[in-house]
Amino acid sequence: MSIYYLTKDSWKRLLTGLTETYDIYVLKENENKLFYELLSKEDLSGDGKIIYGKARSVQSLKSFFHLYAEDVSNLKNEKVKRIIIGVKACDLKALAVLDKMFLEGDYIDPFYKEKRDNTIIISSDCTEPRDNCFCTLLGGKPYAEDGFDLNLSPLKEGFIVEAGSDRGKAVINGNKSIFGNEAKETLNEDRARAREKITGKVNNKNKDFDLKAEFWKDLSKKHDSSAWAEHSEACVECGACTVVCPSCYCFLLADMPEKDKFKRVKYQDSCQFSGYARVAGGATPRPELYERFRNRYLCKYDYRPESLGIVACTGCGRCIEACQGGIDKREVIIDVLKRKK
Amino acid sequence: MDKNIYKPIDAVVEKVITETSNIKTFVLKLKEKFSFATGQFIELTVPGLGEGPFTPSSSPYETEKLEVTIMGVGGITGKLHSMKQGDLVGIRGPYGKGYPMSEFYGKEVLILGGGVGMAPLRSFLLALLKESGKFKKIILCYGSKTPGDVVYKNAFPGWKKEKNLQVLRSVDKADKSWKETEGLVTVLLDKVKIKIDNSVAIVCGPPIMMKFGTFKLLDIGYKPEQIYLSMERNMSCGLGKCGHCGLGKYFICKDGPVFTYDKIKDIPGVWD
Repeated sequence: MSIYYLTKDSWKRLLTGLTETYDIYVLKENENKLFYELLSKEDLSGDGKIIYGKARSVQSLKSFFHLYAEDVSNLKNEKVKRIIIGVKACDLKALAVLDKMFLEGDYIDPFYKEKRDNTIIISSDCTEPRDNCFCTLLGGKPYAEDGFDLNLSPLKEGFIVEAGSDRGKAVINGNKSIFGNEAKETLNEDRARAREKITGKVNNKNKDFDLKAEFWKDLSKKHDSSAWAEHSEACVECGACTVVCPSCYCFLLADMPEKDKFKRVKYQDSCQFSGYARVAGGATPRPELYERFRNRYLCKYDYRPESLGIVACTGCGRCIEACQGGIDKREVIIDVLKRKK
Repeated sequence: MDKNIYKPIDAVVEKVITETSNIKTFVLKLKEKFSFATGQFIELTVPGLGEGPFTPSSSPYETEKLEVTIMGVGGITGKLHSMKQGDLVGIRGPYGKGYPMSEFYGKEVLILGGGVGMAPLRSFLLALLKESGKFKKIILCYGSKTPGDVVYKNAFPGWKKEKNLQVLRSVDKADKSWKETEGLVTVLLDKVKIKIDNSVAIVCGPPIMMKFGTFKLLDIGYKPEQIYLSMERNMSCGLGKCGHCGLGKYFICKDGPVFTYDKIKDIPGVWD
């Protein structure tokens, strides 16, 4: 592994050059929340507005690749080259779920692929976990180990930069004058210390949630638990949990008339809605709220690990933060696993 | 250039056949080359309204035209029922895994169908009859609510003359015209002579009929892996991506729609 060290000024010089080719999205803070915004000229001349570390943003990468609504009637020719900066490890893991759904198997989603192919992802280590972050309970880490093109580890007045793909290496090789020589090994040790510290912070936030390693493997046997119905009583069926979820991939193709032809739109959909699985004639396999509530858990922790080989929850905590009923996923799981029935 | 997996190919309604008071068969002429394996399904587009999954009822050997038999129960099927010769529709597919025909060679094939569930079974039966000699025996047990609800009325006289095919039919409620069995389709299973060890059962029909049909087959000695079910769920994409047709770890559109019962029997809510 080769790493480089860039000061903030060098980094901004790099960004300035990249703006000629790419639309660059960076994290900005608003009321203690992070949002992706298009990089502006002021960001490059001013100072301290872009956030690199902290924790995950409000929007996940889903909002860049699996849109809320997208016209899929015809393939488009325009290719927008983008760079997304500040992506956290949890969202990279969630993107791996979307990649498996849309890029693997017998059919490839050309709309998703076009966006993936033309986007460079620059992740960064977390530095301040949010209250609901729980990546470590899922076996994750608050820093990325793979899935990125470049990764930034904030250190002192700059970043340790690591390439994780050929695309990332190309950025470094194309800007040799900025990157200079590889950084010293000792910086690696500094990074490891910072990472250990932040991992400890996430663990500490979850010290009251008693979930053993790979706890999800036991959920498949808990289909009949009485806890599902009990916890679902607080659910108001708004679907926010699935909307904010970085790995929820469900969508609905909806058609509408347009002149002499018709338009086909791919909308994000939610298994929490009563009409989601309804067939013609009105029957549905999950008529009760608790059955739909349970489905989200089983999909993430049982069905997708079985079919995709990866857990479809990354512990980003967005569903906990978005829940109007104040439902904490961790508490539900602990209760389900604890009860005999 | 990548292919747009969401875009249908154009098709024209060439003929509409009224099967029963609420079931019609649509004969479609496709504007591009199209072939399918029996048991696979298509997504049929009603332009501007939407798509629905249907399994062709015509023979997979018929490549010029495609037939789909549809009950009018909802928005899309309702609109389809108002369509006439010359109207435009769209088709995507074929999707999913069909019946593994070669695995049935040398066996006694028992077909258990109910209502409009006869649609995919007609395609399957036509595929069997095309190479009839390769199967030890073919038995069709078909149940309808009333004599008026029997689909493919004109096809049965011909099928009854087929040498290697035995046809048994029942209706839940008979009238004076009905000369065959009265009762649920499962009662027909008491009348068939079959070597179960060397047999497979192919089931398609309404969920409740599939459930009790499967239980009856198990009762008379079929093993779960000998029972082939054509499962259905709400489907949107048909490609194994949109999530709607999830059944446990499976997506029915991609991993099915044909499953042997042993694969799905332990999934909670399999019959719901």
